[in-house]
Amino acid sequence: MDSQYKIIHPVKYLQDHLAQDVRPDGRQFLSFRSISVNISSITHADSSAIFKIGNTTIVCGIKAELAAPKAESPEYGYIVPNIELPPLCSPKFRPGPPSDQAQVVVKLIENILRNSAAIDLKDLCVFKGKLVWVLYCDLMCINYDGSIIDACIGALTATLNTLTLPETLYNIETGSVSVNYTKRLKFPIKALPVSVSFAIFNDQLLIADPTDDEESLCLGRLTIVMNEDKICCIHKPGGIPISQDLFLRSLTKCKKRAELIRSLIDAAVSTIKQEHLNE
Amino acid sequence: MAETVLSSGEKIFILHGIDADFRNDGRRRCEYRSMEIETKLMPQTHGSARLHIGNTDILVGIKVELDVPHADKPNEGKLEFFVDCSATATPAFEGKGGDDLATEISNVLTAAYQTRNAFDLKTLCILPHKKCWKIYVDVLILQCGGNLFDAVGIAVKAALNSTEIPKITAATLDGGEPDIELSDDSYDCIQLDTSNYPIIITLCKIGDNYIVDPTLEEEMCSTSSIVMSMLPNGKISSVVKLGYGSIQFNTFTKMLQMGEIIGLRLNKTLMDVLKEENQFGRQRRIFGFLK
Amino acid sequence: MPVDQRRINGPEVSVPYHIYSDFDEKSDKVKHDFSKRSDKRTNSEMRKIFLKIGIVSQAKGSAYIEMGNTKVVCSVFDPRELSNKNGYCTQGEIYCEFKFAPFSCQKRKIHQQNAEEKQYSLILQRTLEPAVCLHEFPNFQVDVYVMVLDNAGSSLAAAIMAASTALANAGVPMFGLVTASTIGIYGNHYLMDPTDTEEAICNTQPDKEDDFNHGIITLASLPQHNQISEVFLIGSIDTNTIKQATEMLTAANKDICPVLQQCLVKTIMKLHNEKK
Repeated sequence: MDSQYKIIHPVKYLQDHLAQDVRPDGRQFLSFRSISVNISSITHADSSAIFKIGNTTIVCGIKAELAAPKAESPEYGYIVPNIELPPLCSPKFRPGPPSDQAQVVVKLIENILRNSAAIDLKDLCVFKGKLVWVLYCDLMCINYDGSIIDACIGALTATLNTLTLPETLYNIETGSVSVNYTKRLKFPIKALPVSVSFAIFNDQLLIADPTDDEESLCLGRLTIVMNEDKICCIHKPGGIPISQDLFLRSLTKCKKRAELIRSLIDAAVSTIKQEHLNE
Repeated sequence: MAETVLSSGEKIFILHGIDADFRNDGRRRCEYRSMEIETKLMPQTHGSARLHIGNTDILVGIKVELDVPHADKPNEGKLEFFVDCSATATPAFEGKGGDDLATEISNVLTAAYQTRNAFDLKTLCILPHKKCWKIYVDVLILQCGGNLFDAVGIAVKAALNSTEIPKITAATLDGGEPDIELSDDSYDCIQLDTSNYPIIITLCKIGDNYIVDPTLEEEMCSTSSIVMSMLPNGKISSVVKLGYGSIQFNTFTKMLQMGEIIGLRLNKTLMDVLKEENQFGRQRRIFGFLK
Repeated sequence: MPVDQRRINGPEVSVPYHIYSDFDEKSDKVKHDFSKRSDKRTNSEMRKIFLKIGIVSQAKGSAYIEMGNTKVVCSVFDPRELSNKNGYCTQGEIYCEFKFAPFSCQKRKIHQQNAEEKQYSLILQRTLEPAVCLHEFPNFQVDVYVMVLDNAGSSLAAAIMAASTALANAGVPMFGLVTASTIGIYGNHYLMDPTDTEEAICNTQPDKEDDFNHGIITLASLPQHNQISEVFLIGSIDTNTIKQATEMLTAANKDICPVLQQCLVKTIMKLHNEKK
């Protein structure tokens, strides 16, 4: 009965729940879903992470390749983020080129990466003007159930945090390259941005960590990206305005949540390091 | 293709015919229709062939170009198949209609030629890391009257057999840049070693039996068929099942054995014919499309 | 190549670092020791299978399969009406899309489907067609999407099994489950369920040996009906060897079938108990 009601009157279904001060999945308005992080499970990627927020699942894999740098920035490497929302993850998506949504998310992620100064592109330089690393960061959505940006940022930072690159030497005289597989160097990451999403409903009702159903019916959305205790990006794409009071509330919530996510990623990364030591 | 609609009565008639080993056009189960083949009919290409079998009409053109080898296979050349199911063949191919079939055929060709046993890509290498030959095999399906895979397979082999690659007299590295000189005599060519090139055989399962070289009507009665590629030395280089039906294990092995026998015979006949044609030399009259 | 404005683009050319290997990989391959495999399996032993159903909450049916390091996700969606078809189809259709994730292989994959992926999509479709009661949903199409997250060999077989369990999970009427397995052949070595390095070895032919069997066979069957639903062979193998290998594969497929069944039953039981 419950599921039929949801299919026939999705709006009313949600509103009835909200009127009872509860969300369809049984959460409080400002409580979050559980998170799980799994690191280095993909053997063919240079580093990888699987990040889950409730049902939402993002797999991130980084493939490192070598290329010549741009003439105008000879010391800078490249980082190429890409998010794939394949038809596999939700019936909303069709096969073909990236949807508008995927384009928006990937642009946002690129901005966050740049603004938070999480990585220094100079660290990707092998030989100035000749050879630099290219990091292809592919974010693959396996299950699309809301708060996609949070999961993407989580997966990406976790992946970058565990990235190691083989020691590479460029011989300027012969122009030859030698790669030492056995010696992999840790790639330095400077910051750990964490994103938290909210949805806004009628009468300034704020909901944390919305699911897909909630996201598609909400009147406004808000994503705050924190870097340690600084805000590095706020994304509020249109929708109804948000009151200042509510915004401050979301900020305090966000701070707490960001700490939790950061500690989770740190914990996951340190277990991997432990395993390496034991080997 | 789209026009042929068979009633269940017609289908049963075909089925009974095959059961009795006497098909609608009088052939037995393992008999091919007669084929007509002509090679070197297009002077603009490096090699070409045209094949007629029943109503099926295939044209293959081969172009050879200089290219840079793949970074991970520095001493191998490239061989690429491209199949075009043109809308002239059947209205069903209009737009993107023939794309699936075209992919299917080019996949089977790629698989068939993949092993070094059949085609050694190393022979196409000129200078490792720098220069290699790239062979483009373009298959044009002008008319389809059933049994496309076999026809394409034979036509491609005949075309490759007729291919002449310009002879390279000198290939040197000049300060890291490749320097290549071609022979002045345009008749001075090298030919590909076609001695172990595969041909493709389709075994079409109709009722409890399987046949070779099905016509369009017979293809419509079949739910599954096996496409295999046979090398002249008795090896099988690719097998794939087509159609939406399934096959019993025993039937499958029997079909493979039959395919092997037929493949070896067909291959020998084809090579004999091509040799015979080659003996006419360059003065041979080209029939092309005038016939 | 035209620049794709819908993505963030990297440099025009970039090369994987694997090509700058210090040692010659080719010589390494020839030396491959066939008496023991890198993961300590015997030649006829399959890797352990891990199967989980219903991992994509947004899909009608889904499955995740792991065979060693090979990881594949598959999801199946509600049937939708066949579009742009003139006339009524008495049979339903299955549409399959097979994709390697960009980071799943040794070499980075591009975002568009390449020829291999297109071929695997078609193979997957033909594998599933004999198993699905197509006449039960005329003029409708069921979409099956497969994504390989990590390709450590035999990914086509893994994809086939994931797809068949996902179809069953979605409640699509079927005649039976499809199971699949892969065998790599190199000379007189038969390697069941090869890893990606073993696949690469089986795909190459040693120098100056014409009469040498090498290749990979993937066989999908309906073990409950003793039928072969798809064979995919590539390489250069003689008929007797093929016969022997397919026998081994059919036996393996029969052995796997209960694993899939049990997993499905377990999921249903869990759902049933929850409802109570």
